[in-house]
Amino acid sequence: MPLICLGLEGTAHSFGAGIVTSEGVVLANEWDMLKPSQGGIHPREASRHHSDFGPSIISKAFETADINYRDIDLIAFSRGPGLGPCLRTTATMARTLAVKLGIPLVDVNHCVAHIEIGNLESGFDDPVTVYVSGGNTQVIAYAGGRFRTFGETLDIAIGNMLDVLGRHFGMPFPAGPIIEKEARAGRTFYSLPYSVKGMDISYSGMLTAAKRLFSEGIPIPDICFSVQETSFGMLAEIAERAIAHTKKKELLLTGGVARNNRLTEILSGVSERHEARFHRVSPSLAGDQGAMIAWNGILQYKSGHEIKISSSHVLPKWRTDEQDILWRK
Amino acid sequence: MSKIYYGENDMKDVILALGAESVIFKTQRWNQSFALKWRKSKPYLLEEIDSLLRKTRTSKECRTLTIARELGVRTPAVYSVDLNSYSILMDFIEGTQFKLLVERVSQKQLMELCQRFGQSIAQLHQGGVVHGDPTTSNVIVDQHLRLWLIDFGLSEMNATVEMKGVDLHLIRRALETTHWDKQELMLNATIEGYIDTAGKEAEDSISRMNEIRERGRYH
Repeated sequence: MPLICLGLEGTAHSFGAGIVTSEGVVLANEWDMLKPSQGGIHPREASRHHSDFGPSIISKAFETADINYRDIDLIAFSRGPGLGPCLRTTATMARTLAVKLGIPLVDVNHCVAHIEIGNLESGFDDPVTVYVSGGNTQVIAYAGGRFRTFGETLDIAIGNMLDVLGRHFGMPFPAGPIIEKEARAGRTFYSLPYSVKGMDISYSGMLTAAKRLFSEGIPIPDICFSVQETSFGMLAEIAERAIAHTKKKELLLTGGVARNNRLTEILSGVSERHEARFHRVSPSLAGDQGAMIAWNGILQYKSGHEIKISSSHVLPKWRTDEQDILWRK
Repeated sequence: MSKIYYGENDMKDVILALGAESVIFKTQRWNQSFALKWRKSKPYLLEEIDSLLRKTRTSKECRTLTIARELGVRTPAVYSVDLNSYSILMDFIEGTQFKLLVERVSQKQLMELCQRFGQSIAQLHQGGVVHGDPTTSNVIVDQHLRLWLIDFGLSEMNATVEMKGVDLHLIRRALETTHWDKQELMLNATIEGYIDTAGKEAEDSISRMNEIRERGRYH
């Protein structure tokens, strides 16, 4: 009998419940995202969203999977990194269910889960992963028993940068898809601060300069085009450095911003240059959702890892490289 | 080693290193060995960005190699620079990449090398220069165990505390991804060397390094 795991994700503005088997079959993957009517995400509002909608999303996942609560063998939850209030709300639901059903609880690192669900989908074994979302921008690869961050943003995440810029233009949240559409109509390239430091990058200078272009009356499509080319170019460059450095032969693109087609095109160009295989994680598994937490829960549980309720406090600043990856040799 | 043809001269040169950013050839001129660094085009970048980067990095590298030497840091001397082909002809340094030596030397020697690395970075910082990519791949150790810094394409002048903090952060980052089993030892020795040379000024850069690590993430 395969194991069945319920995974709860709630590190930021999305709450998700996924049900996955130890054979890697996703039986259900339900989620809902808080869309603030104006401004950014407030941690307390996001946690409120999770406690309001969490229970019904979990029930829906069981309906979709067409199984009973008693059919699941373990529960996994996103322990970090993320916004404290959101993590605590999600962890509370996970603990309650684990106690109620009398089944093991597994604590999952959100970033690691993004990588492993990508590996499950792509069949990759050992990729360089570009993980891009509203809250994270990292280039990660496995080395010496851990997933190590080779490069990341030194200030704001790429998704956040796009959202802030979009808000400045008066676009609704999330602005990324609208910016992508506008950029296709862009014709003129305006040079923006291109900031690569070692394998790290910085977006704040570029964002400020892009806002200035807007106040100077430069058409939005041209700004969007210039911002995409510059910010994705920087990301591609550090991804290429990581590939050249690690000599790995697979490149995985994941996270919410993986939905962007231009970013995908640029990164597949990088992989071609290094004769590496390329995979973009499909939208339903690329964003924040429960299936990735459930799948990682299974990997960890099968390698002999579970956590006691009493020591399952959340870890808002849990770094990708702080977890021993027991399920990889 | 493979032979390749470079440019219009059809010179048969040996590839020394094939990086993400450039190809480095070992070439013979005037009966002497030189390193020729050529920045390749990155076809995945927008043409405007690509050519601007190749040009600015080539000229930055050329300039900083000389400035660094004036500050007392060993760097290869530049003989010529070509901003049309984005290439630099410089001294060929006989030695081994620090990265490769880490596993071969004794712990005592490793700490000494790291201290010297920290000292060199501090010498740059005191002169207002940041290296921009201070990894163990960009340090050559010669047979007298002297350190040579290379690869200044991402360097910057008029460095602020923030820029110096980032430079130190990049050292930590490189150690934790490449030398994870020795990262603490190596970082401590490097910082020791840094403080040794930078004195009181080291404090600000080091505390900035620690602060930078916490950014770009949820809190």
